[in-house]
Amino acid sequence: MATILVNGVRREVQAPADTPLLYVLRNDLELSGPQFGCGLAQCGACSVLLDGKEIRSCITPLSAAGNKEITTLEGLPARWAQQKGLSAANAAKTLHPVQQAWIEEQTPLCGFCQNGMMIKATELLERTATPTVAEIKEAFTTSGPSPHLCRCGSYAAILDAVQRAGALMAKGGK
Amino acid sequence: MAELNEKNAKSVQVFGATLTRRQVVQSGGALLVGFGMAGSGVWSKAARAAVPENTLDPSLPGSWIEIHPDNTILIRTGKSDFGQGTTYTAYRQIVAEELNARFEAITTVVMGDTDRTPDGSGAFDFLGRGTPNIRKAAAYTYQALLDLASKRLGVPKDRLAAKDGVVSGGGKRMSYGELVKGQQLQLTIPVSGDLTSPMGLTVTGNPPMKGVSDYTIIGKSHRNSVIASKVAAREQWATDVRLPGMLHARMVHPKTLGSTLVSAGAVDKKRFPNAQVVVKGNLVGVVAPTEWEAIRAAEQVAGATKWSDWKGLPGDGNLLDHLRKADWTTTAVTKSDKARGDVAPALAGAAKKLSATYEFPFLKHAPIGPTMALADARPDGTVHIYTHNQNPQALRGEIAKMLGAPIDQIVVRTFSGAGHYGRSNGGNAGAEDEAVLLSKAVGRPVRVQWMRPEDFQWSTQSPAAIADIEIGLDAKGKMVAYQVDHYMPAMQDDRPVGAILAGLPTMAAPNEKGDFIGSTVNGLSDPWIYDGVAVLAERGHGTFQIGQKESPLAIGLRDHSMRTPGQFQQNYPRELAVSEAAALAGADAIQFRIDHATEDRAIGVLKAVRDASKWQTRSSPIASPVSTGDKPARGRGVSVMFRSGTYWACVCEIAVTPATGVIQVERYTIAVDPGIVVNPMQLRRQVQGGAVMGISHALLEEAKFDESGITARDWRTYPILTMADIPEIQVVLLHKPEVGSYGGGSEAANALAAPAIAAALFDATGKVARRLPLKPAYVQALLKA
Repeated sequence: MATILVNGVRREVQAPADTPLLYVLRNDLELSGPQFGCGLAQCGACSVLLDGKEIRSCITPLSAAGNKEITTLEGLPARWAQQKGLSAANAAKTLHPVQQAWIEEQTPLCGFCQNGMMIKATELLERTATPTVAEIKEAFTTSGPSPHLCRCGSYAAILDAVQRAGALMAKGGK
Repeated sequence: MAELNEKNAKSVQVFGATLTRRQVVQSGGALLVGFGMAGSGVWSKAARAAVPENTLDPSLPGSWIEIHPDNTILIRTGKSDFGQGTTYTAYRQIVAEELNARFEAITTVVMGDTDRTPDGSGAFDFLGRGTPNIRKAAAYTYQALLDLASKRLGVPKDRLAAKDGVVSGGGKRMSYGELVKGQQLQLTIPVSGDLTSPMGLTVTGNPPMKGVSDYTIIGKSHRNSVIASKVAAREQWATDVRLPGMLHARMVHPKTLGSTLVSAGAVDKKRFPNAQVVVKGNLVGVVAPTEWEAIRAAEQVAGATKWSDWKGLPGDGNLLDHLRKADWTTTAVTKSDKARGDVAPALAGAAKKLSATYEFPFLKHAPIGPTMALADARPDGTVHIYTHNQNPQALRGEIAKMLGAPIDQIVVRTFSGAGHYGRSNGGNAGAEDEAVLLSKAVGRPVRVQWMRPEDFQWSTQSPAAIADIEIGLDAKGKMVAYQVDHYMPAMQDDRPVGAILAGLPTMAAPNEKGDFIGSTVNGLSDPWIYDGVAVLAERGHGTFQIGQKESPLAIGLRDHSMRTPGQFQQNYPRELAVSEAAALAGADAIQFRIDHATEDRAIGVLKAVRDASKWQTRSSPIASPVSTGDKPARGRGVSVMFRSGTYWACVCEIAVTPATGVIQVERYTIAVDPGIVVNPMQLRRQVQGGAVMGISHALLEEAKFDESGITARDWRTYPILTMADIPEIQVVLLHKPEVGSYGGGSEAANALAAPAIAAALFDATGKVARRLPLKPAYVQALLKA
């Protein structure tokens, strides 16, 4: 039995301590954002934020979560609402600006990798409000355990979307 | 797929599966388009039934399009979305256009479920070269709506017209919703083909269709609704489907592509008390209630399982030699329908001649998520499969064949998943059949998830190919003769691998007697566009898949079509050779192509890419080519293709560092003429994605193999392009309403980069690389030589 903090809620789970967080999130907590891509921390499809830092849930054991705050794709709207001090009613109607930008730029193709792409974008934009193209490429390629891979080739669309998300966040998400 | 066309469809096998008569709708058969009332249609009953009726049962009133009393519209298609977005965007636009309804009125798209979508076939040629099934279904439906309105309003049909879902005329008006309220209209439309064949059904006949000049919805950048669902984490992916009592499974696949089982290991019950091994022939799987236990128990069982050794593959280092020595004589040679003239004397009499061999490697589809499926083999004999598949009706046929069951008993439900670029367009991606067999064995729903290394080893690959090309130029530098011999092993092996391992029935492996899908025939897939060449000979040679006959499992290197299948293998050598011929002629590579093309659209797309890339007219290589040193040398190259109704041309500008052999594509410009552009935003995203994948193919990708199997296991051993290495991409969309139809937009772009980059390397260095991929070690060695 372990207690983890996921998207602002404490959750009790029965899984063994060595279970990769990905399977706990997907199977025990029925979250659909993080995806199984490689199980090897080589692609980024399974990414979540752990205390604001992007990690690969496919190789992170449940025991490593401790009391840290886990944010999945599902939790991005609430994370944004909390950061902006939005009311609960407004928060429920809000998408994170990253998600909004992803829709406006029609970024995903098959979309299977995009969970990790949006998690990475959120991590980046929380630290660097208006990243350059070089900084975005660096974030998605060399900043983590591996590059974030997209087989459909959506990288150009992601570049557009990250810049749009940065602009949306600068305007307060509107 | 180029080879998959209506003409061939009627000759396709249905995999020998047991079909009840009503599933096979012969030419002249009937399909019902109905206007059901929301909640009262037979569809909702069908969804609840233990054995859902087939969608083609004549007793069912609805199949393609439902118009509801609240003016919302539902459409159904057997085609599945793989990231193209077509079913959510173009199909809606096309239906709304033909119905004269609003785009937003189409609120629901039902897709790819065998029990509740009307047609079959794969996720290729979505737009049907301008007339997909759904367009004709909509056109028929519009006529029926006008008939109904004429009766209700008492106004002759020819005085009625509709706009935004409201029929008006003779001073009267009525919305579609009002028209269908309380009505049960049945409309019969003609279809032909076989539902579960790879080609599925085709709507036939010639209903009146809207004129292009009247389009108001096609041509607009409507958003893809599934994107919002995925981005907001609301989408139910195939990976998310769970059933009560479901077990997780991992497979223990053989040690090599030819190993047979000596003895299966037992589960260490102390460590994995809830896990269980299932063995059927050479199929070994491990099931457990939790995914982590299944993974670890499968690893433990794998370590205790013994397989025979097998070394029956040539190894990638011997691929060229192996292909040269393969038997190409038992399969009929295909010949171009544009063949003309006597090529031998034309080549012999040429002033200058190019003679070269081009090599194309095995590629992996490499979906970002490994294949998975959930199967529920129920006590009543029905089998329900929940997965992500490009051709669910064909999969249904394959599963029925495997089980010897009537096809009615198999239901495939399709969900969003990781795109796999053609791998399942004949029905099988892997894992589906294994999930079914494990579920039958344990009597519970079983979810099989392949791990990353398994997806590289046990999936099909895009076949390797070689091409021998000879081009003759006259004294003025004009191409007077072109000859090519394409050699490629069979490309479409739809046998489910689990069924093979279990020793259960499958369709035959591709062979020389096979019908067009299960055949070793190498069709000519790259339409010739240089009609100014007087003498032309194009031949396609086919043979068996490498190692398949030698493997005791009959597996070996199984191949499957991948995005721009066959045409990639044929266009790459042609376009690189034409660039070389232009250089031999001292001509500019784009002008040389224009000078030999006769079709306006081919010339137009070349001129468009020339203008957009600010191409400077000159011959290749550059005045002072550089093939040594650690300073980047720069060059540019071009390629052109016609595919599925669309003309494509791209220019790649590269920097290559001779000392390291590293190529960076700096600018990529692509021009696309599909005729009518249905949705500019979606097309642009598809083209950008294809461009990136194409650069990845050209620079990085090769499925390496040793004597026992594929040696790629993960993203380190099968690297793909990262964001850091993408060029500046410029997409030029040429909207040509006068063409009158819309071509495809999701293929081709991934094939265009390779010959353009190789030509750019030649432009920069004066040296020609005729083998893919253009990896640093190869380029470095080539430039040193």
